[in-house]
Amino acid sequence: MIDLTQPQRQSPLAIVFLGLRALRSLGVVQLAVLALFLVRGATDGRFLAIVVLVVGLFTVTSVLSWWRYTFQLVDGELVVTRGVVRVDRLTVAVGRIQSVAIEQELLHRMTDLVKVVIDTAGSAQAEFTIDAVARPVADELQRQTTVDAGPAATLDPASGAGRTAERIVFQHTPGRLAVAALTTSPWAGLALLAPLLALDEVILEPIADQVTAIAPDADAASLGWWLVPSAAVAVAMFVSLLNLGRVFLADWDLALRTDTNTVRRTSGLLSRTSTTSTIARIQVLTSRRNPLQRRVGLHDLHLSNAGQGDIRLIGCGDGEFAATAALAGLTAVDHLALDRRVQPAEIWLRVRNMLVVAAVGAAAAWWFVGWWAALAFAPVPVVWWATWRHVRTFRWSLGSEIATSKHVIASSTQQALVHKANAVRVTRSIFERRRGLARIEAATAAGTITIGMLPIAEAEAVRDVLLHGVETDRRAWM
Amino acid sequence: MSEPFTNEPIVVGDLPRLRDDEFVGVDPRYILGQLVGLGFGAVVVAAISGVIARQSGDALWPAIVGGGIVALLVAIAIAVTLEARRIAYQLREHDVSLRRGVLRHRTETIPFSRIQHVSVGRGLLERWLGLATLEVSSAGPDVAVPGLSVLDAERIKQTVAQRADIDTDDDRPAGQGNRWLPPAP
Repeated sequence: MIDLTQPQRQSPLAIVFLGLRALRSLGVVQLAVLALFLVRGATDGRFLAIVVLVVGLFTVTSVLSWWRYTFQLVDGELVVTRGVVRVDRLTVAVGRIQSVAIEQELLHRMTDLVKVVIDTAGSAQAEFTIDAVARPVADELQRQTTVDAGPAATLDPASGAGRTAERIVFQHTPGRLAVAALTTSPWAGLALLAPLLALDEVILEPIADQVTAIAPDADAASLGWWLVPSAAVAVAMFVSLLNLGRVFLADWDLALRTDTNTVRRTSGLLSRTSTTSTIARIQVLTSRRNPLQRRVGLHDLHLSNAGQGDIRLIGCGDGEFAATAALAGLTAVDHLALDRRVQPAEIWLRVRNMLVVAAVGAAAAWWFVGWWAALAFAPVPVVWWATWRHVRTFRWSLGSEIATSKHVIASSTQQALVHKANAVRVTRSIFERRRGLARIEAATAAGTITIGMLPIAEAEAVRDVLLHGVETDRRAWM
Repeated sequence: MSEPFTNEPIVVGDLPRLRDDEFVGVDPRYILGQLVGLGFGAVVVAAISGVIARQSGDALWPAIVGGGIVALLVAIAIAVTLEARRIAYQLREHDVSLRRGVLRHRTETIPFSRIQHVSVGRGLLERWLGLATLEVSSAGPDVAVPGLSVLDAERIKQTVAQRADIDTDDDRPAGQGNRWLPPAP
């Protein structure tokens, strides 16, 4: 058992991490110039002395930074002390910690160390990061700052008594991940190419030159009609493969675990990440599925938590969706009576607005393109169809939880326990007031569930029920 | 020992309603403060336009731009006046509500049990007019009730803090909370 009440230091290897970070802070250009000097015969003694001095300075600074950086748990507070010249001490009450993520990037994996990212609801970003920590220390810190913070925790931090065994809710196989990757939008895979853009002169331009050299006289007219569809298929296959790689890298061995109070997501091939949050802090469960995912029966799930540390789960089957919902105290959508509908007035509103925009756009474009300006009206039927479909498929319900579902092309559901609401808002535009309608919004600490185009009496009744639920339910909401 | 959680059916018609006629409007001086602020802005714009016209020798464009901005400020003044007449708040046993908006009417309610922090802010004009703004923060949306008399704002703040069982700015000891502290001796 690791005693976190005693000051803990990062692994001594953190000195290397700190040194690398300091080097990185110099910037790419400066580092490239330095490397060029070193490689291309910088034999001048004075220059070498400067290099040795700089490296020595970085080393001393890194060692001192490592030595002065400690963290410990004292009286229910996580205390981090750091700084060489000016010593800073950060104290965070364990009860305020929203989530603790353990990440293991490539360099961490090579050294068997991890990075702990701790978040409270006090800021939009993660509160602070403890880098290069031994895995057992990080696991213990994660356990004591999240399990101990749970509302029903009976854990003795010293002995671990009362700790419940963690169980795996589900774990994705490589086959499942492949299906999940191939059924989601492939464009996210292009993110893997982003680093290449920084090296366009080194990689992309030579490729372009090679292509020009192979077919110097090629022009669009001389190429066959099949080129466009072939290129489209090739691009689609290429980005799909990239997306497959991205999903394997980020979500390999994706697993959701839970014990009495916490939920933990782990995944990653080269970089392992482990995100933990207390169950009470889960505010909204959102599921999304595109037509392909619907065909293969998969959902993308998003557990929105108060503060940072949202948990995203791709490629979940119906059973896994239901299990995740049950974890958050919610009902599986299939078992919810989503039987309430909204008024169709929104169709007229959206089409009218689109017509106004199109008319103005067409009038402006008329001077330049003549009758082609009529194309500005092309989106009108699309808007009509999308809104009609939205109104026709939108369903909601209100019981111990508020839930919505819709299905235009992709489908999505949102669920939250009523007592998670932090504020309830009723809004009425001029259009809605004329038709006796209103929009109701239930805002939680991590997302808002909105139901539009309700009769005003119904919206006000929903507001009263929501407020009654929030004000009478004594369960922990965060 | 916590109370057992029950989930009995409730009759929606019996629930307390948030009645529109029980909202309390803000102090009329709030409109004056808003108009004074806008008037000051209009004077500054007119002065700058005059200086530019004098320097350039061409009065037309500075007059058009300046006039446009002043017209915009007048339109904003009308909107602000209408908005101020809509702003109203309501305190109930378990929540605080704010009603506002001219084109889009909004009524927002935050239960006391979800309030994280409450404070009273006073800008320069507000200090001059003896007004204050009550700021209520939750982990979700925040609500600001402007145009309250200082006395009312303080009373409401104390009531909200008491019912929400939270600290206010006044009684929060220095150094408490999530912030960097000086090194321990």
